Amino acid sequence: MILDALKTLIYVLIFPGFLFCFLTGLLLAGIDRKLVARMQKRVGPPILQPFYDFFKLCGKKTIVPAAANKTVFLIAPLLGLAALVVLQLFIPVFQFQIPAFANVADLIVILYLLLIPAVSIILGGASTGSPYAGIGLSREMVTVLACELPLVLVLLSVGRSVGMAIGAKEGITFSLSTIVRYQLESGSLICKASLIPAAIAFLLVIPGETGNHPFDAAEAETEICEGMLAEYSGAPLGVFKLSHAIKMLTMTSLFIMLFFGGIGTGIGNLVALIGLTGGAAAAVTMLLDVLVLFVLCVIVTAVGISFVHAVTARLKIEQIFKYYWTVVSALALLSLVLVWYGL
Amino acid sequence: MSHINLLYLLDPLHFPIFSIMLYFLGAFCIVLFGKNRIVRNCIAFVATGLSLTLLCLLIKPIMIQNAILPYWMGYRVPAGGYAIGIALEVDALSLFFGLLIATAVFVSCLYSFSYMSEDDNEPQYYTLFLMLAGGVMGLVLSGDLFNMFIMVEILTFAAVALTAFRNRVTGALEAAFKYLVVGCIGSTCILAGTIILYQQAHTLNLAQLATIIPLCKGTNISIAFALLFIGFCTKAFIVPFHPLAADAHGAAPAPVSVLISGVLTKSGIYGIIRLAYFLFQTMNLGTMQFWLVFLGSVSMFVCVTMALAQHDFKRLLAFHSISQIGYVLTAIGLATALGASAGLYHAMNHTLFKGLLFLTAGAVLHETGTTDLGKLGGLSKKMPHTTVLFLIGAASISGIPPFNGFASKWLIYQATYEKAAETGNIGFAFVTIVALVTSTLTLASFVKVTQSVFFGQLPKECENAKEVSFGMRFAMGILAVLCTITGLFPNMVQQYLTGPAAKTLFHVSRYINAMMGSGYAESTMGASAPEAATRTIETVGVWNPVNWLMLLMIALLAICIVAIASKYDAVRENKSEKVEAKYSLFYGGEDTVFSQVGGGDLFWGFKHNWRHYFSFMHDLHSGIVNDYSLWAVIALALAMVYALIVL
Amino acid sequence: MIILNYIASFFLIVLGLYCIVMKYNLVKTVIGLSIMDYGVNLLIITIGYNPGGTAPIFTPGELQAASYFVDPIPQALTLTSIVIGACVTAMSLSLVMKLKEMYGTLDTREIRRLRG
Repeated sequence: MILDALKTLIYVLIFPGFLFCFLTGLLLAGIDRKLVARMQKRVGPPILQPFYDFFKLCGKKTIVPAAANKTVFLIAPLLGLAALVVLQLFIPVFQFQIPAFANVADLIVILYLLLIPAVSIILGGASTGSPYAGIGLSREMVTVLACELPLVLVLLSVGRSVGMAIGAKEGITFSLSTIVRYQLESGSLICKASLIPAAIAFLLVIPGETGNHPFDAAEAETEICEGMLAEYSGAPLGVFKLSHAIKMLTMTSLFIMLFFGGIGTGIGNLVALIGLTGGAAAAVTMLLDVLVLFVLCVIVTAVGISFVHAVTARLKIEQIFKYYWTVVSALALLSLVLVWYGL
Repeated sequence: MSHINLLYLLDPLHFPIFSIMLYFLGAFCIVLFGKNRIVRNCIAFVATGLSLTLLCLLIKPIMIQNAILPYWMGYRVPAGGYAIGIALEVDALSLFFGLLIATAVFVSCLYSFSYMSEDDNEPQYYTLFLMLAGGVMGLVLSGDLFNMFIMVEILTFAAVALTAFRNRVTGALEAAFKYLVVGCIGSTCILAGTIILYQQAHTLNLAQLATIIPLCKGTNISIAFALLFIGFCTKAFIVPFHPLAADAHGAAPAPVSVLISGVLTKSGIYGIIRLAYFLFQTMNLGTMQFWLVFLGSVSMFVCVTMALAQHDFKRLLAFHSISQIGYVLTAIGLATALGASAGLYHAMNHTLFKGLLFLTAGAVLHETGTTDLGKLGGLSKKMPHTTVLFLIGAASISGIPPFNGFASKWLIYQATYEKAAETGNIGFAFVTIVALVTSTLTLASFVKVTQSVFFGQLPKECENAKEVSFGMRFAMGILAVLCTITGLFPNMVQQYLTGPAAKTLFHVSRYINAMMGSGYAESTMGASAPEAATRTIETVGVWNPVNWLMLLMIALLAICIVAIASKYDAVRENKSEKVEAKYSLFYGGEDTVFSQVGGGDLFWGFKHNWRHYFSFMHDLHSGIVNDYSLWAVIALALAMVYALIVL
Repeated sequence: MIILNYIASFFLIVLGLYCIVMKYNLVKTVIGLSIMDYGVNLLIITIGYNPGGTAPIFTPGELQAASYFVDPIPQALTLTSIVIGACVTAMSLSLVMKLKEMYGTLDTREIRRLRG
């Protein structure tokens, strides 16, 4: 009983919870900044810059605007961060899935858990009463709305595709662990022709969902002074920045688990080949898995976030909406139809 | 001289009729003795509270032990296979709806005590209020089609009168008149349908009708079905009757809006279920499923987009109300056990969260005197408790885990998608997509309300607002707690409330036999007797709210400890009377101005892309009663054409 | 000739609906509601009618197997329905009065502050 509680605590606090998210998330953000800079022929900040930024912000005093609702202003960032960290617990790392959490949340739940960080930043921004925040939250909500349709279509296609393949009684599955297990056995989903449009659509959704350039109308610094973050300073601002970094990790790792979940397969065999068994083998496998996941995350970030960032200019909010509901949704819909008719 | 044993009255058999009569008796007593405020409140409290208690006592025999209570008025039991008396019949479905109604009525009655205390004509208010409650309760517990019609008339009548109750409010009279006209078309349809059924079957008893009607097909039966269906649709306000709901909910006092939205729409849904699953047993027809799901999906989508275009708090809530009813209808139209269970679950949640939201809207109206989103703002500092309660309601309706709206919507997504996989029909997959996107649109709409009413800048007019009285907060608190509990324990709810109720939908012959004597259905209907389908409710997905909440709490606690240890809460605040420049909002160097983005303009980026749709919808909802009646007539005509072709 | 009754009731219902949909005067809308109601009442009575039947009023012992009378239930239903119809008319007329006071017109096209 106590051991279980301790285990849960370790999961939540260290791996794959808070500490892991903190380190990899900020690292990912640093790599992204560096990559964008290199693509634009700039030197760019050091890779550890997000860490410096975070700790510096935490050292500063927070100014609460007189018009703000102090409680909401301070709690919203923490709530968003906690929700994201918990969400990361439900995303398996190839074979490594925490059995106790496998039956807590499925794909559809994850879709809605992803809304909580967005809602918390909206609440935080709204609580300040700033007009910039008003515009920012409106744009944030529209961006979330824009991403929702393609994301839904992608998740439904994946659920149907795997459900049919494993011969589930209902013909569908929404369990992420089932999807990953299926991929470990029969190869990554990206190899299925019918799901390639869905994978592309998901890749295009990532920057929108995380609010990265060119889909960052909600935080347009040059235009509305970071929108919802306009009045934020000090540690709460740092927490929001951290949440943003973790969201990049969440989205990229979700993408990898959905479409490249089979890549970790070989590693277990490799470890067995070296001659390790039992606990040591499991530990080494897990470490290697995490490493592979991180490398893949970096690659996805490079392709899906940094590259897009480097080559495009910021879109207007109505363009973002139109883009996601036409081009990206059409791709995802194509996938759904293909999957549905068993192609 | 026979000895009358009063203890006989304590038999649970009598509870249903008592729970109906208590409301009417209360209404009657308030007319007689209601001059005094305390007496009046006591009568209303006792009537609503006792009625709820009696129904709660029925949970054990009906929901858990799976009994069905038939009750013949004056003990006139069927003779010679003919129902000659007037009957109540309480199965799990009726009791489920009865519980919803009793809860909503009780809470909104508690709220009324302080909310309506400044109105004149209070006795009349409570009379009508209890009549409305009694009407709906009578409708769902009745086992007689004509009594259902009478109850429909009573509740329509009371609802119209209550809508016009504050007749100085802009639009109250107008809304009441429109509702009366279209509501009367609906009631007349129900009456005409009832009488055509009587002509065919020579009985008005629901159970007996359910044995006779499925056997005789013909023009008359088809027309009767169309008439009854459209009649109950007007009571549920589904598209194309949604403008009436918007008008009526918006104009009525908040506790009445709770009843109209949370209770009256349920009576329509209940009627449709009784009609389609029991009386006509048409739910195994693919086209019938298609139409119900189609109507539901259209309702949920059209109404949520209409809600996005609104700038009045209560009118916006009203459109959302119908949007959520669309979810219920969609799920019920699937004709699967999971779908029925999910639909009933959502119906329950709708009563709870919509009630909560209307009550918070009432609180805002009570304190500021307006519900115009453009004129409100920044109330979270003035009304912190109301804000929290509103946020719970908003999170529930927008389907944010772990509140109840999510639990039921999640089941609906699965039910629709399972149905799609089962039938191989991609259309149901699109229904899932519409449901998922509608949920996010709902969230968008409530973000708008949150920003325009509770956060943002505080306008001058609202500076005198303060927290509402304890009585009102208590009533809202009950609903908020229920919203959370039903969200956290979906399995319990399914096991004890929605599961038994959903199973009755597929055991029609049990319903018939309980009323008419065992073996009646089989002997009368022969081979075509509805078989007792043993359907189990299975979900493919996993969602364990309690575990998730525990994990979230652990994470939040850990983060908070770290944050507090690193002086996260050591903030600089404005202490003096005058606001220092450092603490005032950033306006890009300009003077402070009131520059809040209006509620109507908040989602410009979204609306711009859909401007043609929105302007089309705006023109369509012209507000002319003739147009709405025309929609009703067209809907009736379409339903008749459908029924004549298919049934 | 019972068919005439059915035709008449159908005609009345349609006339009522026509009146509600096409007439822009509030009072005429109320009249339309009443006409529709009468149509349904006629329908109910017609359904209960047995050609040649007597009134269904019997003292104890008078009722025999050979007694031939009209169906009493629809008549009871009609009474209820008439009462309800009268209530609806009264209620709607009082609303019309109030509306006229408030809006200064009886034209439905001008009573549309709630729209969109």
